[in-house]
Amino acid sequence: MIYMIRKHKNLLNYSFDCLKRYRMRTAVILITFLVATTMISAVLFTKDGLEREAELSVDAAPDLTLQYLKGGRIELINSTYVGLVSEIPGVEKVLKRTWGYAGIGQYTFVVVGLDPDGLGYSRGVITSLEEGRFLTPEDEGTGNIVIGKLLAHMLNVRVGDDIILLSESVETNKFHVVGLFSDTSSIYTADMIVMSLSDANKFFSMPEGHYTDLCVYVSPTQDPVSVASKMNSIPNLRILDQDLLLRGYKAAYGARGGIFTTLWTILLVAIALIAFSQAIVVGHESQFEVGLLKTFGFSTLDIIEVRLVESLVLGFFATSLGMLLGFSYAAFLNAPGLVDILLGWAYLPREFRLPVYVSLQSVFSIYAVTVIPLLITTVVPAWLNAITDPELAMRRAAA
Amino acid sequence: MRRIVVLPALAIVFTAALMSLAAYSESQWSNHEYDKNLREILGFPSIAIGTNYEGTRNPLLEVFVRSLYDIPGGYDYIVSSSFIDTPMRLVDFRERTPGFNFTAVKG
Repeated sequence: MIYMIRKHKNLLNYSFDCLKRYRMRTAVILITFLVATTMISAVLFTKDGLEREAELSVDAAPDLTLQYLKGGRIELINSTYVGLVSEIPGVEKVLKRTWGYAGIGQYTFVVVGLDPDGLGYSRGVITSLEEGRFLTPEDEGTGNIVIGKLLAHMLNVRVGDDIILLSESVETNKFHVVGLFSDTSSIYTADMIVMSLSDANKFFSMPEGHYTDLCVYVSPTQDPVSVASKMNSIPNLRILDQDLLLRGYKAAYGARGGIFTTLWTILLVAIALIAFSQAIVVGHESQFEVGLLKTFGFSTLDIIEVRLVESLVLGFFATSLGMLLGFSYAAFLNAPGLVDILLGWAYLPREFRLPVYVSLQSVFSIYAVTVIPLLITTVVPAWLNAITDPELAMRRAAA
Repeated sequence: MRRIVVLPALAIVFTAALMSLAAYSESQWSNHEYDKNLREILGFPSIAIGTNYEGTRNPLLEVFVRSLYDIPGGYDYIVSSSFIDTPMRLVDFRERTPGFNFTAVKG
């Protein structure tokens, strides 16, 4: 037993010594794996974070979102639909919502008008404010707004200030800031201007009795899908449930991340080939060494063990460090260069950081595509060397 | 410490650090419920990215890029960018979006 432990300890020491002796091979593998895993982990961790953020938002979204469809396009929905939908068994509440976009400077902001019934219907206290307060039903039609950090920084406004926004119908609208969303909620609120429903309708010059969409809350005892199925006969209605929203967002972020992952997987294959080529070159150099070791009594398994330990050390060192660097690159630097691939035409306001989620699944996936190929590409040449007749190996190496 | 064990020792340290980070991240995200009340009251399923592109916050369909939005006949949610998937391939779009499934039934 002690002999076995001592033997493996000596083999370990010999492996570690090889890492130092074959400096060029060690450096090539370390650098290439480090770069590849840094990039791929930054993308995967960010993709996972975006997906989780989408999940959180979808979880909190209304059970059903209703839109009016005309000619395959989304149009404003008439208030008569509130009555139609409210009569359906299982529907607890139908809230009207008007929202849209307002361009200010080079940015586009999201203007949201909330139904006063919905403000009273809130299931909890809004704590995501840095300053001021959230809207109440009494704010209906008063011009009071709550704004996100992006707008607050851009216009240098604080709670208590008045701002004038020019609508798309070229009318000036004066608003009074009563609340400012906090940094912690910026990923959700950075671009938002929240106001009452009637203020939003006035800002967007909406026709009387028309809204952007309806939010339907289903009774907790009812299944939203079965309630939605009862709405199928209502004309021109497009029904979105939470499951559909979640699948859509996951498909979008997943596909974007997937394209990048595919490209980097191809690169990883190339890197594995580099590692293989290095192992062959060094293998040629070490043929003499292997022959000598076998003459001294090393078995084929001992030689494979030496190379296996070398690869494991190199693989785990480069991949783990690469993932830590990838995490830092995404979490602290907002992944410049890579984030554009995930966000498409979008931009990322400097007011918030990318959501980064280091999931165990992604970590093990990256290990699987880096360490395992490295093991194969270094152990196979070592095995080929080790099964050669020692005398022949030394003669070939000396020739 | 002998110099030859520096690399293996660092490999263990980095791997342990990464595993700790992953475990911390998992626990943080599993208990992540910030802004739940706010998200409930606003009801937007998306996050505040991509607002240079007008469809970002629109529930679901406009996540798929409206690259041909202004071209007559270019249905915004049928035409997708090359960056992301094609809604036509997604069962949800074909089967569950009213007005989307134009399949003719012979009878």
